[in-house]
Amino acid sequence: MSAAMPEARWRDYPWRLIRGEPLAPPMNLALDEVLTRRVGVDERPPTLRFWDWAAPAVVLGRFQPVENEVDEETADGYGVEVVRRMTGGGAMFGEPENIITYSIYAPPKLVAGMSSVDSYAFFDVWAVEALRSLGVGAWYEPINDITSSDGKIGGAAQARRTGAVLHHVMMSYEMDVPKMLRVLRIGQEKLTDKAIQSAEKRVGPLRRQTQLPREEIIRRMISTFEHNAGTSLVEDRIVPEELAEAEELVRTKYGTREWTYLVP
Amino acid sequence: MHGEYKTPGGKLVIADFDVQNGCLAGVEVSGDFFLEPPKALEGIIGALEDAPRTSRRRSSRTASAPPSAPRSRWWASPPKRSPAP
Repeated sequence: MSAAMPEARWRDYPWRLIRGEPLAPPMNLALDEVLTRRVGVDERPPTLRFWDWAAPAVVLGRFQPVENEVDEETADGYGVEVVRRMTGGGAMFGEPENIITYSIYAPPKLVAGMSSVDSYAFFDVWAVEALRSLGVGAWYEPINDITSSDGKIGGAAQARRTGAVLHHVMMSYEMDVPKMLRVLRIGQEKLTDKAIQSAEKRVGPLRRQTQLPREEIIRRMISTFEHNAGTSLVEDRIVPEELAEAEELVRTKYGTREWTYLVP
Repeated sequence: MHGEYKTPGGKLVIADFDVQNGCLAGVEVSGDFFLEPPKALEGIIGALEDAPRTSRRRSSRTASAPPSAPRSRWWASPPKRSPAP
């Protein structure tokens, strides 16, 4: 019976929940790689991780050169770190209190038989449902956006690697649009009032749409995920070996110039 | 040379390269696309490197990329001078 309904597949796993301390941007990206691998080799059950940032960052997609996407001098001036993630997709600008970020580390069986585009939709269903339950007119926009009648909310990116699927999402809770436009090179627009207004209209941060505290939105997302998975999430933490592995990956990859300034 | 191609409703693929002796050289492909595994990009770039600038689509078929790889219809010449089919 459940085989006919892909959404029932969420119920097949003992999902864990990680809510960690705010971490440096490269550390968060390294943990995504480590936890994906751990789930892939059965060293950790499928996991949902909401993560917090210790510093503002531009997170580049795997195939984007820094100079195309970031005004580095301005980013430096704002103390915005530039980092590269393991997944494709576009650059995102985020500040610690202004963003909701989470990752799902899952066995490939969860999305077996789905095209990669279909699997984006599948992974985003519960998140869209959570936002709708808070009164946001949200929907999934192929290939990888979560958007709304009030503007774009966020984007997802996936990797299928080391025996597991990583699906991570960045949603804007608040957006300092002029700052974003100064830090990211979006088109060749000049930073006029008109450009700012037009960008303001294209983004639909969740605070503007819900007037709710960020934490309340995260709590609703967790309860919607639990409802979807038909189970309570087991609170979990990053174990010391995972942390050590991630620290090593920051040293050798995510924290290095070679990786950040990679020319694809 | 520099070329950009946005798949309809989709992702941007950017190619930068020189032409030396009628062949592509120093090819770089970037953009906000997805590609699994990421190493497949090396196959795509390898197929473009040294390809005659007059070639059309042959090389994109021989690239060792999965079917989901972005198709690069414009890469052999600047889009303005020779629109992609």
